[in-house]
Amino acid sequence: MAENTVTAKSEVQDHQKQELKEERTVEGRFFIPHTDIIENKESLIVIMDLPGVQKENLRVRLENNVLEIEGRTDYSPYEKLNPVYTEYSIGNYARSFTVTHAVDTRNIEAIFKDGVLTLTLFKSPESKPREIAVS
Amino acid sequence: MFGRLSGGLGMAIQKAVEQARDTNFFETGTTGSGVYPFINLFEKEGDLVLTTELPGVKKEELTLEVREDVLRLAGKRSIEYGEDCSCHRMERKGFNFDRSLKLPFRIEGGKIQAKLENGLLMMVLPRAESDKPKKIAID
Repeated sequence: MAENTVTAKSEVQDHQKQELKEERTVEGRFFIPHTDIIENKESLIVIMDLPGVQKENLRVRLENNVLEIEGRTDYSPYEKLNPVYTEYSIGNYARSFTVTHAVDTRNIEAIFKDGVLTLTLFKSPESKPREIAVS
Repeated sequence: MFGRLSGGLGMAIQKAVEQARDTNFFETGTTGSGVYPFINLFEKEGDLVLTTELPGVKKEELTLEVREDVLRLAGKRSIEYGEDCSCHRMERKGFNFDRSLKLPFRIEGGKIQAKLENGLLMMVLPRAESDKPKKIAID
């Protein structure tokens, strides 16, 4: 049996989706996807939870140092369903980040698997730590 | 809390119960009950459809069981990062989950369809034939 830990109610409430409050030109509810940002020697890795989004409806754009991620949920499986009991909201996802010059903007990798988007932003060679020779 | 007794007692008790409900006092972690993952239940032509979001969870890490009218959803979502990373932001949580739900009718175990795609689990739970209402003929 899996070990059961008591999850505090506030912890669960924190884990609910937060809605994006700004107005958009396209209709539809947008939520903020949970993101992990980690950094290692080579790159900055951004990992986002985007469940229910298909790869074709996922757009990642980098323009003017702003990284914008937008994922539109596929509503077709929900077509003939009537909600009976709901605990979470269903909607599209969008989030944007400002990217500094430390990132090599021409070299970004994006992998989308099992509803998780992993973006690897490689650091530009100038910003990596360098040994300086003393003559 | 119970200061004003006349007339206000009903209101005071109601408020006290609601406040108690909002504290952690009633959250007991009994086996088989849990809060994660969040699920949505839909109805389609008399059958139940359950959806839940499990991004990053693979089929092998998920256990789905049904017994008469109880559905069990168990598994583990693990999030691990190497030791040499510095974490700027950690919003995603890894968790073990084991959740049982009592459904309004018995399920036909052999006819359940479950699909896990793009982190979204969708299960169609058809009502058991033996549990459907039968018409009674009047002589």
